[in-house]
Amino acid sequence: MDALRSYVLLVTWQVLRVRVMLPLAIVVQALLAVGIVLGYPLLFPEIDRTTTLFLATAAPTITLVTMGLVLVPQVVAQAKTEGSLDFLRSLPVPRIVYLFADLTVWLVVVLPGVVFAIVAAQWRFGLDMHVSPLVVPAFLLVAFTATSVGYAIAAVLPPMLANLTTQVLVVFVLMFSPLTFPADRLPGWLAAIHGVLPIQAMGEVVRGTLATNAFPLTLGAFLALGAWCAASFTVTSLVLTRRA
Amino acid sequence: MLTIDGVTKTYRGGVRANDGVHLRVGASEVYGLLGHNGAGKTTLVNQVVGLAAPDAGTIVLDGQDLVADPGLARRLCSIQPQAQVPITGLTPRRAIELTGRLRGGRADDARRRTAALADALDIGEWMDTDAARLSGGVKRLTSFAMAAVVPGRLVILDEPTNDVDPVRRRLLWAQVRALADGGAGVLLVTHNVVEAERSVDRLAILDRGRVVVEGTPVELRASVPDELRLDLTLEPGAEPPDPPAWALRAVRENGHRMVVTVPAFRAGDAAGWALAEQRAGRVEEFGLAPATLEDAYVALVGGTDRAEVRDGRAA
Repeated sequence: MDALRSYVLLVTWQVLRVRVMLPLAIVVQALLAVGIVLGYPLLFPEIDRTTTLFLATAAPTITLVTMGLVLVPQVVAQAKTEGSLDFLRSLPVPRIVYLFADLTVWLVVVLPGVVFAIVAAQWRFGLDMHVSPLVVPAFLLVAFTATSVGYAIAAVLPPMLANLTTQVLVVFVLMFSPLTFPADRLPGWLAAIHGVLPIQAMGEVVRGTLATNAFPLTLGAFLALGAWCAASFTVTSLVLTRRA
Repeated sequence: MLTIDGVTKTYRGGVRANDGVHLRVGASEVYGLLGHNGAGKTTLVNQVVGLAAPDAGTIVLDGQDLVADPGLARRLCSIQPQAQVPITGLTPRRAIELTGRLRGGRADDARRRTAALADALDIGEWMDTDAARLSGGVKRLTSFAMAAVVPGRLVILDEPTNDVDPVRRRLLWAQVRALADGGAGVLLVTHNVVEAERSVDRLAILDRGRVVVEGTPVELRASVPDELRLDLTLEPGAEPPDPPAWALRAVRENGHRMVVTVPAFRAGDAAGWALAEQRAGRVEEFGLAPATLEDAYVALVGGTDRAEVRDGRAA
């Protein structure tokens, strides 16, 4: 009960904090998501149905992953620099509530973009996507895992290094992860890396629930992502409760 | 109420920030923690509220072990940190009320108490101003109010008067006293010795991580009982005077001020020396007064944060 009360108050606090930039952040995230759907096809002289479907279903994943791995660590690193993180940490609030409160605020920021991306794909390519209700847990699992990892990055690394890491991650996610293309196009060593990392599983659960008619949904991907989610949550909890 | 025993904290890199610190803060007591920059004050405070863990020693509040339960520490202590609390996007009213509710206060109580603090600190006209447009002093008073709106058993104030104007400083000190009168222990961290002298019941002076002395301001002043301070305003442009051989210490405070500490029995000599220096055109004016807590402080920990120190200790 106390945790729930703190959660509502913290969400209020964070929404007020970013209130001014909230509309802009939502628009930028929407542009990013729609841009992936409409912009990536320009890379190809001819584009087939499978490729467009890949791009359309990759946009929500990329949006959620960049939120967790880029946006969240940058904002947390800034809060760390200006001292508000330490102040909030001195309040009698369970540490993990901060993670949930931030996750809520950032989901509000990126969700419109996710929806726009799907609508844009339908409109531009006339795609016929069969959406499964499992899309909700899939999205939440992706968002939560990415945010936990992002939080841990910002909490462990000095702010400068955290920001640099996010820059590297965004290139890795956009260019070298099997989200906009199938995993079998990766060179063997990179495929092996992605066999361990959660990004491929994130792509699979989102694809498999957004277009059930085109992509298989495997229990394996859900389980792998679930394991990553639990692990990153545990690490982040430890990092957040750690004392200097 | 708060008992700190043998607290030792060494940071990675080998800096020993606290070295066997012992302290007792009673309920309804305003307790000053004084020391130079880097003396270990903030490190100690961070360990009390559970942001840092001591390597050794115990911190007990109302019989409960705060080191073992940092969550409890945060419930029992409210803190005004030394750095400005960023309340970007919020107004002082919002920030104070939200903090009160996050500290477990009911919405209407938090609202009432926030309004009362705004009145008492005379910041009512800025209560609904966006944080970006607030002056440093109003921000500081806001973060004091955030620590005081639903006070803990222990209220920790780290340099609460920085940037605050002289009139509102008095209002602030009245509220600090009110917190103690309400039963809380107040741990006041400062390097402003003059203010501390007027405001605290007891104090400890921390130097390089150790408590060098502890007691009431009167007791600490008494540690330099037979000393007088000779305040000199130097003549601009003139060569500064050389302190007399029988002076205990001479501290150059800024360009035009010098404080020479002399033994009480040399009062006559001191006045005579200062008069001669005035006639020689090196001193504009002077005053001779009993030693203050600041003198005791300088005598105890040295004047290493002053512009210039000349140790005039002589037989």
